Amino acid sequence: MKLGTLKAALVGATLMVSTTTSALAEWQPSGPIKLMIAFRAGGGVDTSARLLAEELTARHGWEIIPENVAGRGGAAMAAKLKDEPADGLTIGMTTTDSLAYGILAAKNPGFALEDFENLTTITGSQTGLISKTDRGWRTLSDVIEAAKGGQTIAAGAMSAKLADALYYIGLKNGVDFKIVMVQGGKGGLNGVVADDLDIAWAAGPQTKGVQAGDLINLVSAEAEPLAVSPDAPMLTEYGIDLTFGTKFGVFSPAGIPSEAEEAITAAIVDIVNDPSSKLNEFISKAFAGPQAIAGADFDTFMETAQASAFELLAAVE
Amino acid sequence: MGVFEYVWAGVLAVFLGPEAFSLFGIGVPITLVMVVFGFLLGIVIGATPGLGGPFVMAVSLPILISFFGFTPDALLPVMGFLVGVMKGATVGGAVPAILFNTPGTPDALMTTLDGYPMTKRGNAGKALRTAHFASVSGDTFSDLVLFTTAPFLAIIVESYLGFAEKAALIVLSLSFVAAVVGASPMKGLMAAFFGILLASVGTGEDLYPRMTMGTEFLANGFPLITAVLGVLIMGEVITSFEETWRDRRAARVQNQIPQSDDNSLSWSERKALLPYISVSAAVGTLIGALPGIGSTLAATLGYATGQKMHKGPVKFGDGTPEGVAATEAANSSVSGANLIPVLSLGIPGNVSAVFLILAAESIGGFNPGPSVFRFTTSEVNPELVIAFGLFTTMMCANILNWTIGGQFMRWVGVMSKVPKQVLMPMVFLLTITAVYVQETSFDAIFFLLGFGLLGFFMRKLRVPILPFVIAFILASNLETALRQAFAVSGGDPFFLFRSPISIVFLVLSVVVIVFFMCGKKDEAALSSEVS
Repeated sequence: MKLGTLKAALVGATLMVSTTTSALAEWQPSGPIKLMIAFRAGGGVDTSARLLAEELTARHGWEIIPENVAGRGGAAMAAKLKDEPADGLTIGMTTTDSLAYGILAAKNPGFALEDFENLTTITGSQTGLISKTDRGWRTLSDVIEAAKGGQTIAAGAMSAKLADALYYIGLKNGVDFKIVMVQGGKGGLNGVVADDLDIAWAAGPQTKGVQAGDLINLVSAEAEPLAVSPDAPMLTEYGIDLTFGTKFGVFSPAGIPSEAEEAITAAIVDIVNDPSSKLNEFISKAFAGPQAIAGADFDTFMETAQASAFELLAAVE
Repeated sequence: MGVFEYVWAGVLAVFLGPEAFSLFGIGVPITLVMVVFGFLLGIVIGATPGLGGPFVMAVSLPILISFFGFTPDALLPVMGFLVGVMKGATVGGAVPAILFNTPGTPDALMTTLDGYPMTKRGNAGKALRTAHFASVSGDTFSDLVLFTTAPFLAIIVESYLGFAEKAALIVLSLSFVAAVVGASPMKGLMAAFFGILLASVGTGEDLYPRMTMGTEFLANGFPLITAVLGVLIMGEVITSFEETWRDRRAARVQNQIPQSDDNSLSWSERKALLPYISVSAAVGTLIGALPGIGSTLAATLGYATGQKMHKGPVKFGDGTPEGVAATEAANSSVSGANLIPVLSLGIPGNVSAVFLILAAESIGGFNPGPSVFRFTTSEVNPELVIAFGLFTTMMCANILNWTIGGQFMRWVGVMSKVPKQVLMPMVFLLTITAVYVQETSFDAIFFLLGFGLLGFFMRKLRVPILPFVIAFILASNLETALRQAFAVSGGDPFFLFRSPISIVFLVLSVVVIVFFMCGKKDEAALSSEVS
């Protein structure tokens, strides 16, 4: 009797294992997978998404069609992704902010966190406030001082959250930045390099310029010091107890078949964590390196992100 | 990296890029194959009356993109193909003009004036050789001007123009295009504003879509390639369906004209043509660098200038090689210079440039505009490498043109006999297929047909198409620049009038419109090059 139960349990377990593994191994997309990218071509999210697409094709033979659905700080992509069929043939890459913060900031964006399945994050930002080195500023304090001295400071932000962050930093420090919305992760960088902006947020693409000495990170917006500028001050030094970093995440419309979700997530996590992949190489160079937060952990992360978005909105209001 | 390393990297990007196949153990780069293919196809299409470079570019772009994918590796093969088509079609357009008195492309209209009389005298071969020699010389000259001018212009723009000035510059370019294309500046302006209006649907910086009338259908706006293909190509197809239906009884009879045995073009004859070619090339290049004017006016001006210079026994219009050379050099030298505003400012000036911008935007990794020419030394600027790669493909196409272009051109005369009623349904189907391949959604087909009807009615009402298309493409850049300029000014309502440069641009925009409204225009010479 006991033996029988054990046998049955064993058979059952084997069956379960084999079915799950076979689901993983056997789920194949029935056609090309559309990978929507929430930001313009050339930025960090865009480049990561395209590298991810390349690796997915190379490793699994899946045909991936990247498509930039840029605009409205990621909301354009989110709104479109929500309505795509949940069959695993459409996924989207965006920043976790654009969902966590965007949904709250817009009164009625037409989508909510529940409309999406959180597949996995890819990497984290290395967000800093940058200026050109030859401006002579070393930290955010110098900029605040210049602003108090009557200088107009044009500051670029690529998302509603970072624009609010600039406003909040100004509020706490008694200055008023002229906040300019820029397009995509490279928009602020281009604006600063062309002298159209005095300072701007950059989430990672500034790394090479900082290494070369052309640009400087005036402050870190992350919870940890920036990898490339460990000496840059933290926001807490300016009376800000929030951080403004974000993560690049892959999402799908809610309700996709679990075997598709598992297969796609596993495939992405593999590529993110494989040091020989082009994606891994890219995110290690310009961003926070591989950070694959998947499954339930990702769900918790999104809830926390939304809670801190609440805090910032409350503080700004 | 220094300037020369960038140039060299661009050349290598073409020749050491992905291989198409290998020949005797030597890899043949895919970019080069695409340039050759585009160039030959361009000649064939240019030689077919009723078709032109824009048709091939429009239909092949979505197909090429889905074939090559969206990696930066796809940029050079796809743009190389477009460059090849652009150059091939320019040369090919002269063939039916000379042989059958029907211009293959609108800018070859002036070529018929001297080319066809030469054919009637039995000198078709000489006329074709003259056209080819002039065309390829003008084209090469124009490209050289592009290579040397665009980087400097871009650097100047980048260092002197802020947000407000950039916004004002886009306004100026749009007014210029609206004023010079088509018969009436007011119709041009209407077209441009309409383009901006439609491009505003579903876009913007707010977190919710605008102007959608509450529908989901419009929430993401009109897809760019679909809209452009709709007005440019579908509109043209529908228009020619109507024309075919109207002209169905008019049968054309073409007689074979006996040709003389000696139709070569000697070195001394070529030398004698050089003054005409160089003047026309300069005229064409100058015209080409201004957005929107196009090759038809360049051809007219080149022809008129040549006529003034000419003192030979055979008059212009009676079949003199100088007439063919003056026209062909002028209209061919437009194509290279046309890319100056594209690469240095991100502003397309004609249809070919529109397709190059569409290619760059759809594939990603290359954003035509001043930031392309940032000669960064600490890190490689990949866009600059692509820009020099693009220049290399243009030079490859020129070399092809010098070597095999002339011979190939003389072979494709037969294309002139393909009837329109066979061609147009093919273009119709190909365009629908191309859009479906790109968008994989049936909504896109409805948009395509909708924009096609729009293009048809615009043609019927003689509202020019090009200002609409260029405004549609530039609308988001204009909005971004305006928003940024407004934000930087701290909410100043007169933010566009705070710097002398932007005031100059804005005043010029008004002047251009007023000037062209007062002057009477020759409609044939200035009509849009697509319609």
